Amino acid sequence: MMHDVSAMGHARTAPALHLSLSEIGALSLRAIRGAGRSWGEAEEGAEAACWLARAGLDWATALIGVLSIPINSPHCPLRAGMAITDFSDLPESASHCEQMLPDLHHPGFLLPFAARTAARSGQTLRLTSDGATAILVPGEAPALTGDINATGPLTVRLGPHRATETARSCWPRAHSGTIDSGQYATLTALMLCITVPSSAESLAGAGARGSDND
Amino acid sequence: MSCAGQNPMLGAARFRRDPDEVMRLARMGCSHPTRLSFLRQLLRRMRTEGWRFDRPVWDIDAQGVGRAVYRAIGPVRTYSLVAFAHDLPPEARSDRVIATAWDATFALYDGTPDADDLERLAANVPLQEAGRISSSELSLSRANRSVRLFDHVVDRLASGMQPDAAMLLETGYLMRTTAVYGSGKFGAADRAEVVDRPEMRAPFQAEMLSVWLTRAFTVDLVEHLARARGGERAVRLAPDLKRGLGVGNSTGLGMAPFLIRHPVLLNNWMLAREEALARVRAQDTVGDVERTGLQNALRDAQENARLWASAHPIQQTKLTELRSSLDQIMVHVAQGWDLSGPHPWNALWRWGQDNLPLEGQEALLAAMLEPHGALIDGLGDCMDADEGVHFPIDGAMRVADLRAILQAHYGWALDVDYTAREHCARFWYISEDKLEPRLGERFDEPGAERELPLDTGRQAAALGRALEGQPDDMAVAHLLLAQPEHRPALRRAQITARHPFAEIRENLIAADMLPIDLLRCKLAFFGATRFDPRSDRWVRISLFQGAPYPDNMGGGCA
Repeated sequence: MMHDVSAMGHARTAPALHLSLSEIGALSLRAIRGAGRSWGEAEEGAEAACWLARAGLDWATALIGVLSIPINSPHCPLRAGMAITDFSDLPESASHCEQMLPDLHHPGFLLPFAARTAARSGQTLRLTSDGATAILVPGEAPALTGDINATGPLTVRLGPHRATETARSCWPRAHSGTIDSGQYATLTALMLCITVPSSAESLAGAGARGSDND
Repeated sequence: MSCAGQNPMLGAARFRRDPDEVMRLARMGCSHPTRLSFLRQLLRRMRTEGWRFDRPVWDIDAQGVGRAVYRAIGPVRTYSLVAFAHDLPPEARSDRVIATAWDATFALYDGTPDADDLERLAANVPLQEAGRISSSELSLSRANRSVRLFDHVVDRLASGMQPDAAMLLETGYLMRTTAVYGSGKFGAADRAEVVDRPEMRAPFQAEMLSVWLTRAFTVDLVEHLARARGGERAVRLAPDLKRGLGVGNSTGLGMAPFLIRHPVLLNNWMLAREEALARVRAQDTVGDVERTGLQNALRDAQENARLWASAHPIQQTKLTELRSSLDQIMVHVAQGWDLSGPHPWNALWRWGQDNLPLEGQEALLAAMLEPHGALIDGLGDCMDADEGVHFPIDGAMRVADLRAILQAHYGWALDVDYTAREHCARFWYISEDKLEPRLGERFDEPGAERELPLDTGRQAAALGRALEGQPDDMAVAHLLLAQPEHRPALRRAQITARHPFAEIRENLIAADMLPIDLLRCKLAFFGATRFDPRSDRWVRISLFQGAPYPDNMGGGCA
């Protein structure tokens, strides 16, 4: 099932496709699993991809970048994000004290997990990396300054945001995301890594044997 | 949504069935539609709110090729079924799995489409999966004619006669849908975009509306073709025959994993139905209206069972049991039911449990709900789910608490030997050709290494083993850090602790697991009737058979 995503070239100049959030979720889930990640990571990564798309961020570039990182890498934002949310309600939560994550790839992919931690704790969080800052108010869209789409590796700091005045950000109304056709082909190829050719027996059981006329 | 604050009958809780009794495939595979079913909710709302209906476009030629638009005009918003009728050679209609062309294709448009919308849809909807629709559309579907019946009806109407009633009853529909896609599929609007609308809050309302308007289209099409062929001699379909027609549907394994992948939604469907039953059982008396309503519902069920045919041996046995059960219930209600006790509906239910097979018990459930609209219809508002709220894992949960959850809700799964062939004989996978879920035989077919995580029992058991020896007070976040492979099972367990009807309490990879049980449960919630398995993996059903048409809805035609 292993797939070398970094070797899969795609043309960024190709025209953009518009996908609904449910399409992004389904494609991401299967592609992440197809890239050799666990089903747990696939579920979390798909949820994160939808969150990024809903926020109007470049979910496809971030996801493909994440899937290029070696499995089990400590510098993977998907793995780091899962741990951050799992510890949301514990004393070591980023909602209580700042955490530093060195050499993190695609730090923007950490945003959905940080947002969930903010929502669970009710504490506004601040994520910073190399000049980019995201303020995550519980339940709201991220307020961003700088280039959050950097590929890294970068040191990321995530902790409580104590400022009294915070820029507010509204969720875009559109429930969709864009992806260029090269990226779509990349994720589709990964998705196909978990499909199985239908056997004759399976097709017959599904109704392909014989006529469907009546 | 949570309906806890709206519950007018807190005392009903003690009459609720246990999830261990309800969430078994044998019982779920005997599900019957009820007045909480999604198509019933749609029809009730449209009638109550006085929806109007019209057909602003009918551009179909004498060969039955062209387009039509049907509008459903609600108090706030309008929805339009855009229908494309095609000339499909008979040989192209013969295979449902690899089909790429259909007799008719449809999209449900959000509003009233203009000429540009229709051209855009005409370029995409007939292609189905190979086309793209937009967030202005809520569903995408297609249908094929029941060739024998369709031609017979057109022939008869064209010559001034009504079709053979027995033939109509035997098939029950002029067209059958082979897929109805919604919720963001192929570019359609995501459910999140419309869920705040009251008319779309209940599950699958857009899909149900699409199929209901498709039913009107199928009748209009045969009458149109009859007129084209017979001219002045042609007659319209008699209202009683017309009402007995539904829309057929072929449904396969693609639908089955939905119930497993949406545990909170499944819980809310089941819980609403179980709460409805509990409320009825908790009633202190039986009013005359309710008793008559029960008897009418039982008579309708008997008539439905008389007309319900299937060639599948499993279903034939169930039909025999159903007919016998309904006869028994009728006799008991008329002669043996003690109405003087403290909870007579509960007494009736307990009699059913003691005397009826599962098929009869579940039919009794549907009949008992039928005369209690005022008591239970509000539960329809509780059948959707904000699944995102329940997605996060509670990493602070202690191992001891997780262990207790597994003991309380997964006893059915923990002691199974999943290395034995019969307990792991199947595996679910995504087919390469259609990207649809399929079921494989683990020891006979390739692909098990690409298995979907629908082996819920086996995963729960593995999680249970992973907890062995762990400190009781350790937070499960630490377990996930060390053993992330247990993440899906841990999430399901936490969801099930809060939603006791979320988990199907069966081994879904066992050799004797019947996917049609999953299908029947889901389809009953849709409101489907005449469940007719064609194998253990796909079924034919009928939707809206006996239901009103747009021009019978009281709001009239615009």
